[in-house]
Amino acid sequence: MDMVVSVIAATLGAGTPLIFAALGELVAEKSGVLNLGVEGMMLVGAIVAFITMRSTGDLWLGVAVAGVAGALMALLFAFATLTLQANQVAAGLALAIFGAGVSAFIGKGFVGVTLENRADAGLSLPIDIPLLSPLLHSLHPLVYVSWLLFAGVSWFLFRSRAGLVLRAVGESPASAHAVGYPVIRIRYLATLFGGAMAGIGGAYLSLVYAPLWLEGMVAGRGWIALALVVFATWRPARVMLGAYLFGGITIVQYFAQSAGVAFATQFMSMLPYLATIVVLVVISRDVAMIRLNAPVSLGKPFHPGV
Amino acid sequence: MRIVNRRDFLKASSSLGIAALGARALDAFAQDVLNVGVVHQYPIGEVGWETQHALGWKAMEAAFPGKVKVTVVADVQQAQDSERVFRELASQGNKLIFGTTFSHMAPMLKVARTAPNTHFDCCASVTTLKNMGAFEARNYEASYVAGVIAGRMTRSNTLGWVGAFPIPQTVWRMNGFMLGARSVNPKAVCNVVWINTWNDPAKEKDAVNALISQGADVLAGSPNTPVQGVAAEERGAWSIANCSDFSKFVPKKQLTGDIFDWRSAYIDSARDALAGTWKAQDRFRGLGEGGFCAMVPYNAAIPAEVVADAKQREKDIVSGKLKVFAGPLKDRDGKQRVAAGGSLSDKEIRSINWLVEGINGPFPKS
Amino acid sequence: MQLRLEPRALQSRAMRYASPLIAAALTLVMGFILFAALGKNPPAAFYAFFIAPINSVGGLAELFLKASPLVLIALGLAVGFRSNIWNIGAEGQLTLGAIAAGWVALDPAFADSPLLLAAMIVAGILGGMAWAAIPAFLRTRFNANEILVSLMLTYVAQLLVNWLVFGPWRDPQGFNTPQSALFADGALFPILIANTRLNASVLLTLAAVVVSWVFLEKSFLGYKTRVVGLSSAAARYAGFSEKRTVWVGMLAGGAAAGLAGVGEVAGPLGQLLPTISPGYGFTAIIVAFVGRLDPVGIVFAGLLMSLLYLGGDSAQISMGLPAAAAALFQGALLFFLLGADVLVNFRVRVIRAVPLDQPRAAL
Repeated sequence: MDMVVSVIAATLGAGTPLIFAALGELVAEKSGVLNLGVEGMMLVGAIVAFITMRSTGDLWLGVAVAGVAGALMALLFAFATLTLQANQVAAGLALAIFGAGVSAFIGKGFVGVTLENRADAGLSLPIDIPLLSPLLHSLHPLVYVSWLLFAGVSWFLFRSRAGLVLRAVGESPASAHAVGYPVIRIRYLATLFGGAMAGIGGAYLSLVYAPLWLEGMVAGRGWIALALVVFATWRPARVMLGAYLFGGITIVQYFAQSAGVAFATQFMSMLPYLATIVVLVVISRDVAMIRLNAPVSLGKPFHPGV
Repeated sequence: MRIVNRRDFLKASSSLGIAALGARALDAFAQDVLNVGVVHQYPIGEVGWETQHALGWKAMEAAFPGKVKVTVVADVQQAQDSERVFRELASQGNKLIFGTTFSHMAPMLKVARTAPNTHFDCCASVTTLKNMGAFEARNYEASYVAGVIAGRMTRSNTLGWVGAFPIPQTVWRMNGFMLGARSVNPKAVCNVVWINTWNDPAKEKDAVNALISQGADVLAGSPNTPVQGVAAEERGAWSIANCSDFSKFVPKKQLTGDIFDWRSAYIDSARDALAGTWKAQDRFRGLGEGGFCAMVPYNAAIPAEVVADAKQREKDIVSGKLKVFAGPLKDRDGKQRVAAGGSLSDKEIRSINWLVEGINGPFPKS
Repeated sequence: MQLRLEPRALQSRAMRYASPLIAAALTLVMGFILFAALGKNPPAAFYAFFIAPINSVGGLAELFLKASPLVLIALGLAVGFRSNIWNIGAEGQLTLGAIAAGWVALDPAFADSPLLLAAMIVAGILGGMAWAAIPAFLRTRFNANEILVSLMLTYVAQLLVNWLVFGPWRDPQGFNTPQSALFADGALFPILIANTRLNASVLLTLAAVVVSWVFLEKSFLGYKTRVVGLSSAAARYAGFSEKRTVWVGMLAGGAAAGLAGVGEVAGPLGQLLPTISPGYGFTAIIVAFVGRLDPVGIVFAGLLMSLLYLGGDSAQISMGLPAAAAALFQGALLFFLLGADVLVNFRVRVIRAVPLDQPRAAL
């Protein structure tokens, strides 16, 4: 019983940073902006959150600062791509590399420093339901926040007027512009939101998951978040599913090792990456479905003219 | 001059900032000053592998005030770059150059062959030259003592180990730990999870969770961050610190720890170099005065008789009465590795690639 | 008064060459501010960073040694980048090249063969191409995004070499430490300048510069690659196969990265280690962009990036500058370049405030 709860809890925990980053990127991509710099934004979020929490002891302040820092990194990207019309792929790669450098630079005095254990327990149900009560209690509040984010993003994109406009901008910036919507401004906002969420995903890693700072500690999760968006065919519910699937694979292989499965561990560590490729292939092979769901103008620059 | 008092040493080292030390200008013309270069693979953090080496060279500076000038180069991760950095340090007049990790061995060997008048000393090297020494810790002695405590403190008879990579240093430490635990608790087993990375702390936490969920109640491991201890404490399990004392981050549930103490490695080498008597040595030292490993102060929650037992074993190991890898010793496949009355040679220990009985989990076959 | 960007009818040729210089200048300005903020004397720090590492023969040899893999990989990547094929997994392809070359080098059957090094080169190139062929196949056959697949395969390659040096290829005489046996002398590139590490692999890079210049500027296939890159609709109209372009772009990158992997294991490393590359596959992406995807530009960009690496270590030794400064410079350089590129396609025009009653031009 305890084991079932802890496998599920660990899976939910492992998926959470991916959910923040991937949902943020999903919103940006829905507006037509492809920002490949998620890894860099997460790293910067992780280190500034860590420094904030260490000096103030305030988790939520750390999370907020990480969001701002992620958004600032995204602003750099947005300025290069939306205002200066730089290639989005190139600028995204630059952001990923730059973020790694910036975070290492800021964090050089904090390597290996670890935050003390905090009792951030999750919900306590008034009645005791087997499995559910201990599970909900063992989740970190930020896991609940990630669920709220999911609900919010789903509602925003598909139920709100603003979301409709944002999708229209991603589908056809020219006609959105013709109707009078500020395409560039909307894309700026969507990109900044994506950056903020990536920053918070990084904060979850350095404040809750680890909790310490090491250079490069995001360890590829930013790239996996990007893959998740494609995997999810730009739908929030599938992002959740993908994130937990990915987290689950990582967790289960540790449980297998601990239970004595003696298979070359390097190959077990490859599993999450191989699974990502397999899933990408399975999803992408249906070209019609990708066409149907992918924002038409994704990655393409838009210049409103004069 | 010898540092005997830990508190004095700490005082001396804390009064010097890392930043001030790193930025020393080289003065090739100064007489009687030994220029020392130290290369770190990763940035020097607050705790961990690099930190223990930094404590070592800081102690060296404190031991010879005004006599040694240290130039530190951190974050030199790959062999291609370390070779260049070693060469640059040698060509800039550093007469004693330290490598701090096994990965420095191959590039240092190349540079040492071309710089015969410079002394080199490399931690965890398995090769020496006329002008290149090696130093390594017998930290299986310390992990054995930690295992004794773990074996006495476990209620589930299941210990957990988070492994980074199965290098001999990790393997002998694991074996020492298990032998210590079995010496007091024949029913004890140790489950192992390998995460194949040094720098993804989130994976360490996941591994700890998996081990605890499957019954482990004392956690140890090789990635040298406090994350395992923190994660274990969160779940109410004990932990053993590795590399450095993590009690600052794991205030309640850290039983003890087996840590590195490289002070004498640096100080002795510098003293010989200053005196002009430096000779390449292969130093392989364990617990005790001038040793390369030490125990972290025991948790107050450990019963007095367990502490007494552990302290007695420390003494016996230092005096040579207790040998960790004494026969008869079988590996976990049942093959006899040491006959009764014998014990593993240093060479056998340093190339160890088998696990003792009681350790469960994947392990690469060679 | 406000600034406004106006699209140029034609790309500005002058700006194509000026914008890297503008970017380099802005990076230097950032460096000046950074050094000052760290309390270092900027001119002295600049000297330590950019001059001291290369004011000797040995220093120059190191500059070329480190630039060589960066230039080589960037040349290969540029083939794909020109046609919007985004191979960002060169790091993994390099690792596979190293593994393949190591396989040959460690095989006793080849031990005394005079063709050992040549066989390693071929194996390395094939290894890199094989690793790049996976994303190319998945892209052309299943429409899977090559950016993500090639990157995921980098993690897989890293774990693969790890498994090899911890298991089957571990040096039997090496105290069971995670490294292969040292390669025989016949498996190493000959040294070009005595007492340096500069070896003959840089000649291969030089040859690759010439080949790719010819390919991109003179050949029909290169022309095709560029056309498809400029507009896939136009290319299809002209009867060019997009699939073929994907294959060419990916395989060129894979071959170059694989060869660079050979250069590392048969050069400065001389054996297989748990990690082969210090991030060359990623840095080469910056090199390709800063070099304008142009062979000659890439050579300069590679030298500059190499200097940033050397300068980082050298400034750490002599000035105590933080190690992360070099990475910061590299990222910033690419960013500034992408920003400065706006001037290639757009003209900045100063607009005076338009009176409200006057109708604006087509909105």
